[in-house]
Amino acid sequence: MLGVILLSPLLGAVLNGFVVPKANKMLAHLLGVLAIGLSFGSALLLFQQFLAGGGEPSITYVFEWIQAGKLRVPVEFVVDRLSALLLLVVTGIGMLIHIYAGGYMREEKTTFRFFAYLNLFIFMMLLLILANNLLLMFVGWEGVGLCSYLLIGYWYSEGANADAGMKAFLTNRVGDFAFLIGIFMTYRLFGTLSFSELRAVVSSSASFDAYTLQQLTLITICFFGGACGKSAQLPLSIWLPDAMAGPTPVSALIHAATMVTAGIYMMTRLNFLFYLAPFTMEVVAWVGAGTALFAATIAAVQWDIKRVLAYSTVSQLGYMVLACGVGAFDAGVFHVLTHACFKALLFLGAGSVIVAMHHEQDMRKMGGLWRSLPITHALMLIGVLAIIGFPGLAGFFSKDEILWRAYLYPGSGHYLWAVGAFTALLTSFYMVRLLALTFYGKSRLDHHTGKHLHEISSIMWAPLIILALLSIGVGYLGVPGLLAIPGVKPHILADYLEPIFAVHQQVKETWAFAGAHHEPFWEALLMLVSVVLVFLGSSIALFSYARSSQPNLGPWPAPGARLYHLLSNKYWLDELYARFIYSPLGDIGEFLWRIFDIKIINGLLNGLGYTILGISGFASFKMSGSVHRHAIFMIAGMLALLYFLL
Amino acid sequence: MNSIDAHIISLIIFLPLLASFVVALLPSLRVAKIVAFAASLATFIASLHLWFHFDPTSVDLQFVEQLPWMPELGVSYLVGVDGLNLLLILLSTFLTPLLLLSIWEFSGEGHKSLMALLLVLECGMIGALVAFDVVLFYIFWEVMLIPMYFIIGIWGGKNRIYATTKFVIYTVSGSLLMLVAAIALYFYHGEQAGFYSTSLLDLYKLAAAGGIPGEEYLFLAFLLAFAIKVPLWPFHTWLPHAHTEAPTVGSVILAGVLLKMGTYGLLRFAIPLFPQAVLLYAPSILALAVVGIVYGALTAWVQEDAKKMVAYSSVSHLGFVVLGSLAIVGNQLSAEALTGAVYQMINHGLSTGALFFLVGMIYERRHSRMFSDFGGLAEVMPYFALMLIIATLSSIGLPGTGGFVGEFLILLGVFQAQPLVAILATSGVILGALYMLTFCRKILFGPITHVANRQLVDLSRREYLYITPLIVLTVFMGVFPELFLSKIRSSVGHLASNFQHYHLKIAGVHPAASDAEPPVDESAVIQP
Repeated sequence: MLGVILLSPLLGAVLNGFVVPKANKMLAHLLGVLAIGLSFGSALLLFQQFLAGGGEPSITYVFEWIQAGKLRVPVEFVVDRLSALLLLVVTGIGMLIHIYAGGYMREEKTTFRFFAYLNLFIFMMLLLILANNLLLMFVGWEGVGLCSYLLIGYWYSEGANADAGMKAFLTNRVGDFAFLIGIFMTYRLFGTLSFSELRAVVSSSASFDAYTLQQLTLITICFFGGACGKSAQLPLSIWLPDAMAGPTPVSALIHAATMVTAGIYMMTRLNFLFYLAPFTMEVVAWVGAGTALFAATIAAVQWDIKRVLAYSTVSQLGYMVLACGVGAFDAGVFHVLTHACFKALLFLGAGSVIVAMHHEQDMRKMGGLWRSLPITHALMLIGVLAIIGFPGLAGFFSKDEILWRAYLYPGSGHYLWAVGAFTALLTSFYMVRLLALTFYGKSRLDHHTGKHLHEISSIMWAPLIILALLSIGVGYLGVPGLLAIPGVKPHILADYLEPIFAVHQQVKETWAFAGAHHEPFWEALLMLVSVVLVFLGSSIALFSYARSSQPNLGPWPAPGARLYHLLSNKYWLDELYARFIYSPLGDIGEFLWRIFDIKIINGLLNGLGYTILGISGFASFKMSGSVHRHAIFMIAGMLALLYFLL
Repeated sequence: MNSIDAHIISLIIFLPLLASFVVALLPSLRVAKIVAFAASLATFIASLHLWFHFDPTSVDLQFVEQLPWMPELGVSYLVGVDGLNLLLILLSTFLTPLLLLSIWEFSGEGHKSLMALLLVLECGMIGALVAFDVVLFYIFWEVMLIPMYFIIGIWGGKNRIYATTKFVIYTVSGSLLMLVAAIALYFYHGEQAGFYSTSLLDLYKLAAAGGIPGEEYLFLAFLLAFAIKVPLWPFHTWLPHAHTEAPTVGSVILAGVLLKMGTYGLLRFAIPLFPQAVLLYAPSILALAVVGIVYGALTAWVQEDAKKMVAYSSVSHLGFVVLGSLAIVGNQLSAEALTGAVYQMINHGLSTGALFFLVGMIYERRHSRMFSDFGGLAEVMPYFALMLIIATLSSIGLPGTGGFVGEFLILLGVFQAQPLVAILATSGVILGALYMLTFCRKILFGPITHVANRQLVDLSRREYLYITPLIVLTVFMGVFPELFLSKIRSSVGHLASNFQHYHLKIAGVHPAASDAEPPVDESAVIQP
């Protein structure tokens, strides 16, 4: 079963890449969908069997991968409550997006290449999820990064797209650097890289000495560095918005629903280490909250429909990271789940708008589209309501769970909650702003586009309907105990995931607060506050952008202009990196090459060489430049040497 | 031990040499091409015998052939295989047929001579790899030099004379010092053991029995020879010149195998013969290696010539190999790092060989290697693009390629020894991606800016034929490294844990040098 799940997308990639006739677009699409469909079907069966078997983790050994010295790294897969669930998400959402992509990429010449990459991506993502050791996870980790690089630069003839792909890869490499150091340190401390062995070692230790705890703090900081790269957290968040250069289905699948959540997945997998490193957790929580706020502020001033969604993704990932930081890994996973549904929906919806608009992405040139694109509008509306946390939809449950758990975090919890809640206000503002600019108000379309406007084909909206249903329904996997909804058990997901979390006594005591739900009054009050914030943000956005008279398209009124400037320039973070890291490195490279290498080292040695040659009276010989004379001298020399030896 | 096992190595060494004479003398170019290729293929197949019959559980020297050569001086013809040289031998025999295939339609003058020289080079490389007698090693070491000198000097670019002279002067000045040190070692052995011998196995015993007086100087002499060959920073400045001026085949074989002679020499000679000196100097050498990693990467990044970029990338990559060879944990070498070093030699040979081939392909089409003349080639040459991307990925050590396994093991091992050094070296992982992706970006992506590039044709069948094996093997070595690692494990482990009292013995009951074996080809080596 596992074999089919994993190999089917790989086979699809190989067939599409090397075997299938290049011109046959239908076949490429069919093959791509079939490959992942098979994978999804098997994942469903596996999940069913897994639940029937009581949800006990099982490890499948395949073959010995690397063995050197004391290191032993097998190719080994683990199916446990976490990976089984994520398998479903990746293959399920992946399949819907594959179906949609056939419609979206209809005009392309090289669909086979597209689907080969996309299938390869699914394979790598599954590898990442199923790996039972850090190194195999790293294979998937880098593999998805590679596919992301290739797909961002899919339209490589445009230099900017290729640059965006490179930026994504390089920024991720910075994170990978930290990840690798983390792996080295783990090996030094524990002598193994296997998740199950690490977990066993950690949970069977009676207590930890100061050295181990200090090492664990460093290790988890390193792993978190890796997560910052993949999940686009500060200060490595800069690549994700640029990654929108890729085709929209790619943005939906890789840069929203699956790959970017790999950082959260990795931390959850290693929760037993993170729980032992409270300092790291504090850092994680603040980076998450900070990123959530940071990206939301930028999203509020973007005009490109995909960029709004990109910053929104960064911001939502911030929420998930915040959840991990306050020890609410289950809430983090819950948000991964809900976000995968509604963000895929939003991206694909945006993709439909873009297709209908003939690849126009600037919302200033849209407006009033709800009349001509009723289906897309309805679907997008559901997506927006889900992400802003409109009561009853998926985002409401998962986001509120994170906020509440952040609030419970001792020490800085209240502040974290405040940052998160303010971000929720911003989220509702920028998402409703997106909706209003695109679908409501007066049409700002140019004449040509307006005339050719058409609703998308069924192959594109059919998958969206499923995603829309999920965006409503998935939230009920995590109903808070407070809201007794008849017929729905509270905390289904949290209870399901419970066994994968830390087992150590010491941890249980320190993090006892994390599972607490004993202040119904405060929980209800905070929930109310966040609902009010959602309505507030939405109303401001509707008021500013949906009026049928000219909406506010310029910079904000004068007092806010400076802030607007700061935000629309993304806090100049890119420029900062370019100025203080990228260019100096280039300058150093130039200096090392042109001055140090050519002038100093080479010059010194050449000088030495010429001096010796000059002394021996060979200078003229050397300049003569005849290879044959060199050769004769050389062979004569060799013979003399041999003669001497013999 | 059967008779094939007893003579297989000699066959692998001298078959190419024999073929080179035939090729040079044959009047028909067509026949010469076929003979050369067939001989190199036969050599490769013969070397597969080593692969299949090598006993991976043994640390002893296998397939040994020992003949007295200059008995009064204690010099013998002693060759053998263990886990340290097995893969390198195969790399050499694997690359040579591909090289010959790549010049199949060579249009310049002296096609036959070029083929003959490549075969002589193969003989020299394999000889140096399997020699366990210092004199024999030294001769093969110099034999490698001569064909390379001509290959660059005759078929090279504009500054070929400068480049090839520089290459030779560098290498020779290093190896002369090594010769002096070897002679000193020889006399010391004579004094101590009561008999004179140039057998490396005897010299190991000497080193294991107790320190060699003045070994720190002897070590430095050997080190210099190898450091120049590797090349270790700051002895690398001959390399960019040699590479840019050399014809494609020259660059491929230089990067593919010749550079590894430096790192191999380190493992075979410098480390086991002078362990105390190794302990003394390891920190400084590690420092040079790390500087080389970062320095090579940054200089590679700013190059304007594709070939020069690949050349500087070698400086960076070989830094990793040196690093992995000298990671001392406690009183042992890190077995993980050493495994990585041995493995990385092969990976670098494959990926950099492939890169030089690929750069050569576009040079043949456009007679330029400047980045500014390219861009957007992915559109017109999709298969070329695919190959270049995979070679790039292996070069930057992406998991799934052999480069990852080697680099990871090296860094993991070095981290156990010197965390700070490992962290600095790991930054090379970022820089490696930086310059390699820039390389791909400039050649493959973006719009096509030169009209001439629109007309470029994708890989021909022949090009496809010689690049694919390299690329496939690169990926294979990343997915199934255990197939290779299991072969080298025992020998690497033996050196890692016993480098301070290293010894090597000949496997099995060794029949005394058979008289039936005529001492054929040695004379040919001596007087080329």
